[in-house]
Amino acid sequence: MPTSIVWVHGDSLSPTNPALATYPSAPAVWVWDDELLRAWRISRKRIVFIYECLLELPVEIRRGDVVTEIRAFAQEKGAQKVVTTSSPSPRFQRFCRELAQTLEVEVLPVPALVPVTPGMDLQRFSRYWKVAEKVIYR
Amino acid sequence: MSTLRRDFATREALVAYIAQEFPEATGPVSPIRGGRQAALAQLAAIQPETYGDTRNYLDGTVTRLSPYLRHGVLALTEVRDWLQQRRYSWKTAEPLVRQLAWRAYWQTLYDQWGDGIWEDREPYKTGWQPEDYANDLPGDIPDASTGLLCVDSFSRELQDTGYLHNHVRLWLAAYVVHWRRVKWQAGARWFLEHLLDGDPASNNLSWQWVASTFSHKPYYFNQDNLARYSRRRWCEACPHDGRATCPFRGSYEQLARRLFPHADLHRLGTRR
Repeated sequence: MPTSIVWVHGDSLSPTNPALATYPSAPAVWVWDDELLRAWRISRKRIVFIYECLLELPVEIRRGDVVTEIRAFAQEKGAQKVVTTSSPSPRFQRFCRELAQTLEVEVLPVPALVPVTPGMDLQRFSRYWKVAEKVIYR
Repeated sequence: MSTLRRDFATREALVAYIAQEFPEATGPVSPIRGGRQAALAQLAAIQPETYGDTRNYLDGTVTRLSPYLRHGVLALTEVRDWLQQRRYSWKTAEPLVRQLAWRAYWQTLYDQWGDGIWEDREPYKTGWQPEDYANDLPGDIPDASTGLLCVDSFSRELQDTGYLHNHVRLWLAAYVVHWRRVKWQAGARWFLEHLLDGDPASNNLSWQWVASTFSHKPYYFNQDNLARYSRRRWCEACPHDGRATCPFRGSYEQLARRLFPHADLHRLGTRR
């Protein structure tokens, strides 16, 4: 019986994303976020593009309220833990907080192109690039 | 809740199923395919040697990787590593790596600001106040009925394909914000409906860069710039070509006086 499930979201649609790569045998799920699709008036071509990405991933495809569906999927699989890949989206972070009320949540980082250090000047890209260009390419 | 289907013999079957399951999501389907296989094929086809010199031209060798990068189908580090493994010199790789860094930069700011990316990060430097800008996109822009061949074509391409060349995004955004004086948020929402690579951070902060609410000066362009980088693709057949009715005609100084009459022209400078 698996104890973990993988949650794949819209910033991590690669079969090699950190969550799927680290937990290759865990059941994985995608949830179409009905509220987001409505609020952003997402057009058909965007849904088709994402759906085509999903068809190359080992995920069960669901829709509805994201947190409710992930909880239900975890329960069906007898899992106590959700593993996913990090995202800066505040909506994603809110879902993680809600999930953490009833499940263990592990968020795996995406490898950084540019390591962000404390105090890094982010006011303008030009200043960021001055730091980044020294470390970004070998 | 039942699960959605995964067994489709053809793309047409998938599209028909999506039309039935998501009836509120309307419009055409993009010729651009989703999926890791498509992403890897696109990566294998990039042309780093000519990218830097041609990327601003509409017929330049741009990578068209953005829909895959936006959705994490391909990681930024994978593209960088691809260049490194093939031992492209820094001089060759730098223009492309710099564009990858723009995306990383926007994502870092998103992580810090969250939904604050929807607010003006700074005042407009256009001499106009936020309340001088309309809240909503005028209907003739999404209807592609402005009568400007270039703008109408950009609008149709956005809505038909979900992809625009970066230079076209800048022109279209500048037209919306500076020529039509519409709040950048209205344009940003419109782009997010349609762009396959529509990402709140890259999209909104780039709109803010054009608007000047996240840059030192507004981005605007003139007909010479549009004609040059599009190789007169639209000007050739446009009834406004060579006439004062072309809203983009003139020098940067002339356009700045027309578009930003209350702004400090010295501070505005000019952009290529």
